[in-house]
Amino acid sequence: MVQINQQARELAVKVVYYGPALSGKTTNLQALHQKIAPELRGRLMTLDTKDDRTLFFDMMPVWFRSAAGVKVKLRLYTVPGQVIHESTRRIVLQGTDAIAFVADARRAEAAATLAYWNNMLRNLEANGLDVRTLPIVVQLNKRDLPEVRGDDELADLRKVIQPPVVPAVAIRGEGVVETLWTLLSLTYRNLDRSLGLGARWKLDEAEFLGRIFEKIDLRGTRLPEEAPAR
Amino acid sequence: MTLAPSFLQQRPPLGDLLDLRAFTDVCQSFSELYRIGLKIFDEAGNRLVDVKVGNADFCGYIWTKASGREQCAATVGRVKSDPVADQATPTVFDCFSGCRYLVEPILYEGDAAGRVVFGPFVPEGPPGLPASLTGIAPDFDAALAAGYQQKIRRVPTATAAKILAHFLELVDVLVFSGHKNLIAARLHIEAVQESYRELQDKNRQLETSFAKLKELDRLKSNFIATMSHELRTPLTSVIGYSEMMLEGLGGPLTAEQREYLAIIMEKGENLLQLITSILDVSKIEAGRVRLVMAEVDVGQLLRDAVATVLPQARKRGVTVTCEPHGPPRVVGDREKLRQCLLNLAANAVKFTPTGGAVIVGSEPLPADRVALRVSDTGIGIPAEHLSRVFDVFYQVDGSNTREYGGAGLGLAIVKSFAEAHGGEVTVASTPGQGSTFSVVIPVRPRSEPALTPVLPAAPVGGA
Repeated sequence: MVQINQQARELAVKVVYYGPALSGKTTNLQALHQKIAPELRGRLMTLDTKDDRTLFFDMMPVWFRSAAGVKVKLRLYTVPGQVIHESTRRIVLQGTDAIAFVADARRAEAAATLAYWNNMLRNLEANGLDVRTLPIVVQLNKRDLPEVRGDDELADLRKVIQPPVVPAVAIRGEGVVETLWTLLSLTYRNLDRSLGLGARWKLDEAEFLGRIFEKIDLRGTRLPEEAPAR
Repeated sequence: MTLAPSFLQQRPPLGDLLDLRAFTDVCQSFSELYRIGLKIFDEAGNRLVDVKVGNADFCGYIWTKASGREQCAATVGRVKSDPVADQATPTVFDCFSGCRYLVEPILYEGDAAGRVVFGPFVPEGPPGLPASLTGIAPDFDAALAAGYQQKIRRVPTATAAKILAHFLELVDVLVFSGHKNLIAARLHIEAVQESYRELQDKNRQLETSFAKLKELDRLKSNFIATMSHELRTPLTSVIGYSEMMLEGLGGPLTAEQREYLAIIMEKGENLLQLITSILDVSKIEAGRVRLVMAEVDVGQLLRDAVATVLPQARKRGVTVTCEPHGPPRVVGDREKLRQCLLNLAANAVKFTPTGGAVIVGSEPLPADRVALRVSDTGIGIPAEHLSRVFDVFYQVDGSNTREYGGAGLGLAIVKSFAEAHGGEVTVASTPGQGSTFSVVIPVRPRSEPALTPVLPAAPVGGA
């Protein structure tokens, strides 16, 4: 759950990139690290113990201060994708406010994707999180590879699953910012409902997104209509 | 089930992110290089590092004056606690002594994790001591103080700010790697703890279901024991009355009636045997087998078994021979051993085709043991089934249309009885050529007391 420091007027929001091994979670964070201006973000921390790979996840902080003086701290995490890191995955998922589910768009990966989706549902439950109220965006990554699900299949998928689906080629930085935008937009609305971000914290959605995305290199990015003017 | 709060949810204080001893060394050498002192405070105002360079005599002299002490303490308080902006720019603090400090927050992930107090240094400006210093006491020795001041580095503020910025870059890297190492270490532990907790959970579930299964198994064994007993009672009447009729106690019978009755009796006997076997197994499973130990004539045992299966063997055209070798007598439970040999011999006859041979024999083994053997030239047992043939109800051919009858109890009983004697049963088999089963038991039981219970010694002297 979002960590609030009323006195310091601070909000700490946790965003987790979840998905099967090699689906491109770290690539997403690396792309964001490149695109976000250094004054808005910290170093990309990669916990990669090379010998035994017991831990394998990444973390990157992003922060801004609103006009009303509210400090918003986002922490972007990836979970370890390898099956054996189940407990680390569960720990990283603890108290998350939003999830970007990074899936490999290739048809051959559909079964693994579904297994990880169900695995995520179990781990959310273990953490006392409700999948129905948590902001989730599905990123269909690696769309440049052969044998991927086509646009028509994407449209079908959008009809059957609740979370928004964003196509991406994270390795080229495509769809990465769009994914974050869609997710943070959902996250804002969710936090606004529970905390009154607009009414009590004087932070509206345009400012919330604008403060972050005005500091992101948006070249080659197509954001929805309501994107703030730069 | 929810997890314990993770370290990832916490913001450790600056002191935990740095190895303070090593960090102090770094600060020391940095300070000495630039000849400017520095202090590091964490977010809560705790002093983590304090390196003084060049100002000891100067400040020490000022401290000898009451007013100097007072104002010095005020300056120290200000540089330590006065608010500075959460930005990567230094704030200037001037000391009444004419020295200057630069204070800048240590920003980590956009938060001030602490501050660096850089100084004192003597900033650019006209030489000499300010009036705010020379006036602190009537007996203030300006010449002496000016001499001491020479030892403090004179540097333009902009240059000091550059040095400080360089130092903060260094701190940033140290804090980052410290944080990374701390997270790695703590998360390792958390991951292990979490895996352990998960395992414990699963263990508990397994234990519960295992306990349930054991209870069910006990109920099943009880049920079988009771049922076998209940089945035997009426069956005995069926056999008994058939026998009486056969003996003509109910009046004369036609040849046809006699034949039918003989079949009823034979099938009744088969059924009784089966039920007895089930009862044996249920007793074995309930741990209620008790051996009645006595001297047993091995040759007699073998001949009995051969005699019992001989009619069946003749019917099938299988020869049965008896080959006793080795010790003539063993100490054991005659009835149980007989049953073992009988079960093995009956199996051998059952699974040996016409023209085959069955040998029932014994053989001495080292360590004072004897093997009771039943070999046949039958169909044999495929290797993958060998390890399971002694399991209760196990059938090599488990299909509904199997060629050979039986309940799958015979070998399980043999195994239990052999083990009850402190022995074992082994099997060697080549499919298509035959099998050899060996019941290996000690010639004398190893645990003598079980045979002759030791009575408690009579109390000496009486009571």
